Amino acid sequence: MDPLLASIGQYLFHAFGLLAVAGALALVFSKNAIHSICGFLLAMLAVAGCFLTLSAEFLAVAQLLVYAGGIVVLFLFVVMLVEMTKYKEKGLFQIQAPYAIAVVLAGAVVVISVFWRTLFGPATAKALTLSPSLGQGLDVANQNAQAVSRGIFAQYLLPFEILSVILLVALVGAVVLAKTERV
Amino acid sequence: MPSMNAVLFISFLLFSVGVAGVLIRRNVLIILMCVELMLNAANLNLVAFARHSGTVNGQAFALLVMGLAAAEVSIGLALVVALYRKKDTIQVDQINLLKG
Repeated sequence: MDPLLASIGQYLFHAFGLLAVAGALALVFSKNAIHSICGFLLAMLAVAGCFLTLSAEFLAVAQLLVYAGGIVVLFLFVVMLVEMTKYKEKGLFQIQAPYAIAVVLAGAVVVISVFWRTLFGPATAKALTLSPSLGQGLDVANQNAQAVSRGIFAQYLLPFEILSVILLVALVGAVVLAKTERV
Repeated sequence: MPSMNAVLFISFLLFSVGVAGVLIRRNVLIILMCVELMLNAANLNLVAFARHSGTVNGQAFALLVMGLAAAEVSIGLALVVALYRKKDTIQVDQINLLKG
């Protein structure tokens, strides 16, 4: 890895992570649905940046394409499709909101106190590896996309095929659900 | 390279904000986006542990999770559109057909 990136990678990760949390907070707490989608977009872009600092380059690009390119536009379509101004006076939050926030904060305190004490050792700067039979003829540390593709198409071929069936089912299901009543 | 605890901390913050959003918001679309946020927090953890263990398995699984999230959001949005046609609302507290 580039020595400059190796030295500032930690601060870059903190910056992207705080940006992602800020986008998530904007998603949850903004009144307008369009503003919520902008917060969602910010969070997804920042998570892609986090992937980059964790040296998962292919996943970062896939995150940009799938989330920022596809899912955000899908959400924008649906927000434009349904009319939400009718119910503005009903209020933003459910009636159980204070209890829910209290429960989430309590869970956060418990979990943070657990892994505040748990040390995962120093950050490993070692390069990625594949099993020797899979990784032959490949510079795994520097060819992230090729390494991930060998992992997904050779080692985890069955989950990948199952995912393709799930995608087909989702495609058919979405068409059936969203089409109008006349058959 | 960021330390493991920092990654876990950020990922946990994202996840808990997602949980809070699912629990407190009335709008179905915001709830769906919060579910996506939680899946992303899980992805961040997978990538971090892939880095920690030095294998690409976590990254491959993060890619699978991403595809699953896309399928899930397409089904969810189709449900929202169908629900809006039928009930004329997307507020979850008004979708109470099972309550009778």
